[in-house]
Amino acid sequence: MRWVLPDHIQDALPAEAEKLESLRRTLLDAFRAHGYQLVAPPLLEFLDSLTTGAGQDLKLRTFTLVDQLSGRSMGVRADTTPQVARIDAHLLNRSGVARLCYCGSVLHTLPSTLTATREPLQLGAELYGHAGLEADIEVIRLLAEVLRLAQVPASRIDIGHVGLFHALAARAGMVPEREEALFDLLQAKDVPSLREFVADVPEDVRAALLALTELYGDATVLDEAARRLPQLPEVGAALADLRALAAALGDLPVSFDLGDLRGYHYHSGVVFAAYGSASPAALALGGRYDRVGQAFGRGRPATGFSLDLRELALRLPDAPAAGAILAPLQGDGELAGEVARLRAAGEIVVSALPGHEGTWREAGCDRQLIRRDGCWAVEALQGE
Amino acid sequence: MSSITLALSKGRIFEETLPLLAAAGIEPTDNPESSRKLIIGTNRPDVRLVIVRATDVPTYVQYGAADLGIAGKDVLLEHGGAGLYQPLDLNIARCRLCVAVPRGFDYAAASKPGGRIRVATKYINSAKAHFAAKGMHVDLIKLYGSMELAPLVGLADAIVDLVSTGGTLRANNLEEVEDIMPISSRLVVNQASLKLKRELIQPVLDAIAGAVK
Repeated sequence: MRWVLPDHIQDALPAEAEKLESLRRTLLDAFRAHGYQLVAPPLLEFLDSLTTGAGQDLKLRTFTLVDQLSGRSMGVRADTTPQVARIDAHLLNRSGVARLCYCGSVLHTLPSTLTATREPLQLGAELYGHAGLEADIEVIRLLAEVLRLAQVPASRIDIGHVGLFHALAARAGMVPEREEALFDLLQAKDVPSLREFVADVPEDVRAALLALTELYGDATVLDEAARRLPQLPEVGAALADLRALAAALGDLPVSFDLGDLRGYHYHSGVVFAAYGSASPAALALGGRYDRVGQAFGRGRPATGFSLDLRELALRLPDAPAAGAILAPLQGDGELAGEVARLRAAGEIVVSALPGHEGTWREAGCDRQLIRRDGCWAVEALQGE
Repeated sequence: MSSITLALSKGRIFEETLPLLAAAGIEPTDNPESSRKLIIGTNRPDVRLVIVRATDVPTYVQYGAADLGIAGKDVLLEHGGAGLYQPLDLNIARCRLCVAVPRGFDYAAASKPGGRIRVATKYINSAKAHFAAKGMHVDLIKLYGSMELAPLVGLADAIVDLVSTGGTLRANNLEEVEDIMPISSRLVVNQASLKLKRELIQPVLDAIAGAVK
């Protein structure tokens, strides 16, 4: 049992770490090209700012500890989004649009799925300051682009709208605890239990809540929803949003699920999840969370998405490892220049420390730098 | 190219599922009672069945090893249901989850506030939730079978178990003192499968829903 890691925690060995890092660079470069500025919030901060505006599930998922300096409770972030919302609302104070992105480890007390890691490498992009659907369209398109770059093109981008749930729950006059239970039942499309749960809710809302569990599929469910859901202004607005998205994103494999609420309870509008082929769970989650900024003193329209880079890297084909060039430890005056030239050209050059003959192939070398006819030449590695 | 896999257990659930599958136009090519195959084909090339232990059904579906599954509510409550949709009560394999004690044991007195009893069960989560809701302290003993034996040999004061006819309880001189909940089997669906293979899964769901009594 010595030196085993905790459950759902793992190392990334060279091959995997290389994949993770090259993917991280590719995706952050893509974010940069789209105008998303990188931020790096801390790994831990005071608990109340980490979990503000979020539901019980995020609190349960957060590792907590006591700060020896202040005596206050601190948490290790389980989700970066609230931190970035804090930065936007409280520190940047921009009046217009802010586009931010991030990549860093988060910790989960409990794995989110059976095979998930408890230390996802969370990568995400957030767009603040624009309430219109143009922002939702931009981040959904950015997500599709990110998945394409990661070589796991989304087979399905499933879109929902939390506004429908909030409108119906408010109409039913639910207290927050019951609303959370209702959220969970809808999330599981647990129709038999839902039917029991809403037995005492007014007829029109009950029928609508039950209908939410069946309203999924292509854009035609939006018409069906208009027929089956009550004529509330919030319902009409949500369905209009979804129709506009369906029209704007017609070239992507978009589908709809009006009972899918996604995320950590802080979402407030359009939400979405991306699925790759043969993945037993969503690869990326995102959506609108306009109310989180309010908790930090400045309500700001907000939308974005995040994903676990480890999960994506797992799906990347193994790239053949780049072989290194073995250079002698000492040579003439030209050796150092030659090594520097090769390294600048992107080659890996290692020096042959004495006493390790015969192990260089295992160390990843496949070529060597040799003095031949008065100049340095790269040749296949011999005698290893 | 795409196909769907349904996980279920053999025995009562399999027998009572057959008419529902038939309504969806699915007929197994083998009978798991006589065949030793764990993967059973059907008359439809794009549908296959996998035969697993009842308690393993939610796990197979959660991992996506099966797209659909049929599992008792008892099993789903113990599993927790993470990653699953549970859209349909199939109304089959019906029974009840109950508290039972040896005949003559004063359960009413033992379950007064402040009382503490030992309970043997396979259904730890459900039992814990039930007694916690009553404000009762219990010591739970996890057993994997023959629950009825535990009170008879002094391992526990009471048991929490599934009862369908009550025959086993009577034969062992136990009686049912509390109904926890009615149990029946449900159709569960992997969440990603429903998104990715909706064209295949939805007609099966609809046909089964139409055939449920």
